[in-house]
Amino acid sequence: MTRAEEHVDRWFADRGWKPFAFQREVWAAYQKGESGLIHAATGTGKTLAAWMAPLIEWMREGGRIVPAGAEGKKPRRDTSPPLRVLWITPLRALAGDTGEALEAALQGLGIPWSLEGRTGDTSAAVRARQRKRLPTALITTPESLSLLLSREDAREIFSQLRMVVADEWHELMGTKRGVQVELALARLRNFRPELRVWALSATIGNIEEAKETLVGVAPLPGGARVVRGVEPKKVIVDALIPPFIERFPWAGHLGTQMLPQVVDAVEEGETAIVFTNTRSQTEIWYQALLSARPEWAGTIALHHGSLERKTREWVEDGLRAGRLRCVVATSSLDLGVDFSPVDRVLQIGSPKGIARLLQRAGRSGHRPGAPSRVTCVPTNALELIEVAAVRDGFEAGAVESRLPVERPLDVLVQHVVTVALGGGFRPDDLLREVRSTRAYAGLLDDEWEWVLDFVRRGGDALQAYPEYARIVAREDGIHVVEDSMVARRHRMAIGTIVADAHISVQYLRGGRLGSVEESFIARLKPGDRFVFSGKPLEFVRVRDMKAWVRKASSSQGAIPRWMGSRLPLSGELAAALRERLEEAEKGVLRGAEMEAIRPILDIQSRWSRIPRADQLLVEHVETREGHHLFFFPFEGRLVHEGLAALFAYRISTLEPISFTLAANDYGFELLSPERAPLDAALTAGLLSPKNLFEDVPASLNATEMARRQFREIARVSGLIFPGYPHAGKSARQLQASSGLFFDVFQRYDPHNLLVSQAHREVLERQLESSRLGRTLERLAASEVVVTQPRRTPPLAFPLLVDRTREKVSSEALGDRVRRMQVALEKEAG
Amino acid sequence: MKAGIASVDLAGERLVLFPERVAWWERRDTLLLADPHWGKGAAFRAGGIPVPRGTTVGSLSRLDSVLDRTGASRIVFLGDYLHALEGRAPATLEALAGWRRQRPSLELVLVRGNHDRRAGDPPEGLGVGCVDAPLHDPPFVLAHYPDPNSAGYVLAGHLHPAVRLVGRGRQRERLACFWIQPRVAVFPSFGDFTGAADVQPEPDDRVFVVAEDRVVEVEW
Repeated sequence: MTRAEEHVDRWFADRGWKPFAFQREVWAAYQKGESGLIHAATGTGKTLAAWMAPLIEWMREGGRIVPAGAEGKKPRRDTSPPLRVLWITPLRALAGDTGEALEAALQGLGIPWSLEGRTGDTSAAVRARQRKRLPTALITTPESLSLLLSREDAREIFSQLRMVVADEWHELMGTKRGVQVELALARLRNFRPELRVWALSATIGNIEEAKETLVGVAPLPGGARVVRGVEPKKVIVDALIPPFIERFPWAGHLGTQMLPQVVDAVEEGETAIVFTNTRSQTEIWYQALLSARPEWAGTIALHHGSLERKTREWVEDGLRAGRLRCVVATSSLDLGVDFSPVDRVLQIGSPKGIARLLQRAGRSGHRPGAPSRVTCVPTNALELIEVAAVRDGFEAGAVESRLPVERPLDVLVQHVVTVALGGGFRPDDLLREVRSTRAYAGLLDDEWEWVLDFVRRGGDALQAYPEYARIVAREDGIHVVEDSMVARRHRMAIGTIVADAHISVQYLRGGRLGSVEESFIARLKPGDRFVFSGKPLEFVRVRDMKAWVRKASSSQGAIPRWMGSRLPLSGELAAALRERLEEAEKGVLRGAEMEAIRPILDIQSRWSRIPRADQLLVEHVETREGHHLFFFPFEGRLVHEGLAALFAYRISTLEPISFTLAANDYGFELLSPERAPLDAALTAGLLSPKNLFEDVPASLNATEMARRQFREIARVSGLIFPGYPHAGKSARQLQASSGLFFDVFQRYDPHNLLVSQAHREVLERQLESSRLGRTLERLAASEVVVTQPRRTPPLAFPLLVDRTREKVSSEALGDRVRRMQVALEKEAG
Repeated sequence: MKAGIASVDLAGERLVLFPERVAWWERRDTLLLADPHWGKGAAFRAGGIPVPRGTTVGSLSRLDSVLDRTGASRIVFLGDYLHALEGRAPATLEALAGWRRQRPSLELVLVRGNHDRRAGDPPEGLGVGCVDAPLHDPPFVLAHYPDPNSAGYVLAGHLHPAVRLVGRGRQRERLACFWIQPRVAVFPSFGDFTGAADVQPEPDDRVFVVAEDRVVEVEW
């Protein structure tokens, strides 16, 4: 053991710890020049496994150490070593926490490095300082990293970089932001071939693939390995069982009927986190808990990604210090360092996936010997089956995979402009670099040429737009951005998280509360009440892209809804769910959860039936609204959206008919004014996996899905622009114009690759097409059971009341419109 | 004449509504349309945003098909002829001029709208007579803004009207429309690269939506 490692061991020992074998493995591998990925449960020492490695390197190289006693004196920025370590975090909310953990080790070891964050939250003063000189270690987000790469002196500022740590890599790798990081890493490796990249990840099903997204497909000089951390501790999954299952709503996704039991559960522990699946639910449950226990005011808080940073930090500090009894949170608290006092974790609504629930469970029980425990709170009775299924899956050792994103051209368009700003590029060199990433390893020559043409001329050679040029080739062949407007606009638009436009909520007397989607604010009239950040507010007006509010006295009012992506049920959990239903069909109800929903399962089997795992249940119900066909593959919402469009399309080729479609995690609904020819369709191969490559794109054209997906692509690739602050161009106009763009492209430039990308993304990401194909194979081998219940049975009920719908029609629009009427204002919404 | 059209009687005159978003006033041998916004794509391109070419030619060919079917001798544009100053791109103006050369005897009149003030009148060579609104052509008042006028029934544009429709089985559509009010008729926007805004009709109004290749009157 070297002196450096002894020094680290002593620091561990001072705190009553001892390095784990996996931590030592990482430190040694790093010193040998290796990269890698560390996977383990939250709170098991991954952070220090990565962070100590460059610190040991510093000491081994004879770097200065400040002796103990000089503690508390932070190194001066202008004398600290230049940028050596880059720490990438997916959520800016995590930057603060991580910073504290890293700083503690620096102080304890007496290493005179400067450490700072740089995220969207970083103040203007700090940014200005960082423009002159970066700290030794920088904590940043993918977007802020891209911004650094767009600096003209990019190569210079990273010239001493030794290590990049990608924290919570499992969160990033399946997203376009993850691809943005892949490209950034390839750029950094080009600057620094010896660079070592390490990722910290939760355990996922495809860990080797995760490593590949991190280190790329070109061999690294030092090699790369996967390091497995310590085994997770014991986890208990249980549920609060509703006392009266009859009174339980079948579709009440926001229902707070379980409030009394939740209050009791919170009271059982010292500190509880109540997780919900959406930000709106967070606001609702916070209000509900506060009204049930007014005396908790001050010791109960809420936490979600749209809240102001100061509010979030206050909550996180309160959790750590044990000042809070209860925090209601979304996935914004899934990640990050420990909140040791937490001893009770509740999950409101569907757990959605096995790994996700385990991650949340891991928030509790940090005391030695204590197991992690998570208690699920169903918001509709059927979710009790999911609780039983998630436990089955967990016990069987099933873990979900995160599928990486394949060559999204919008992200590449953005990156190419970024690199042009950051010192420029030669196309051949950049192509080699881009193809070294996993995401673009299969990038076709044609696609690359198209991307270059798109940023140089706005389209392919035949579609050249003389008025337009984002990037120009200098005489020496280097491609750069010359137009300062283009440069400014690109820097402002960098970022691939593209939710709806957000508008900040601010008190008239000052003080920001956070941000909500503009579509929510657009529906409010002055004087309207709404609840946000746990506070009752009165809407005053919108000005300067801000929603101005004042405090309202009563807490009555609308709750904003953030669109965001709704997580589908994972494939692993769906499979476990089908097994549980098959058991139920055979009359076996194992465990308290299944026993509790016996009355509902009884109704389902009396009115229709409970499908076995090798059956496909189809229910045909007639109501005032028309004819409903409910299909139950139990494969998760995304697959169901794809199947719904496909089935509707296939049926509509038999006769002119119009459908509206709804889908959830259990199944989907095709609703038509007239009866659909189901039997004929089944005979004609409705479930057949054949012709999938023709039928699926055709069914997508029949829906609005690709058009909607194009919104994100248009923004990432810089077609539409979020607007300068105060410029006041409303996001609704942008939204409309992305649809308009899509239409115009489809009609006048049908080979535009961004349009093709929209189709591909809908297939691969929105509909999980690989799962779609496998599902069809399974369904085609299943026995189809058609029932005709007189009333809507329990499984179908949530679909019946679902209001968000796609449409598929084979009737002429004019014929269809004849039977329609103008929507009244309140319905039109 | 092709199916897909609808007719409406206004102030004692018959107008035929075409799915090309154009109305034919047969007695005066005139086509009426609003908000072509020519050169909008070019204006976007000049701002560094790549909109494909062809929107101008595309909308002109739509106009041709109505001209061929009606044989009208005059077109009145109800405002917003050119989209923006930046949109006066050579290619756009050449497309308009080329079209004009093929129809030299056609009388073209522009009743100026808000965009025309900033974008400027069409170049001389296009032979478009420009007048400020309102233009009296009894019994009608031709204008850009859809404000009622005591001098007659108003035909106007500006709003780019659309309505949302609902039907049995939760069917929904949003379509551009001719919005016929008691004293004003608002035309759908003619241009290919123009958006639309929802309007809420009153009980006495009539609404004709443009459903692809058909004009259909809808109820509420």
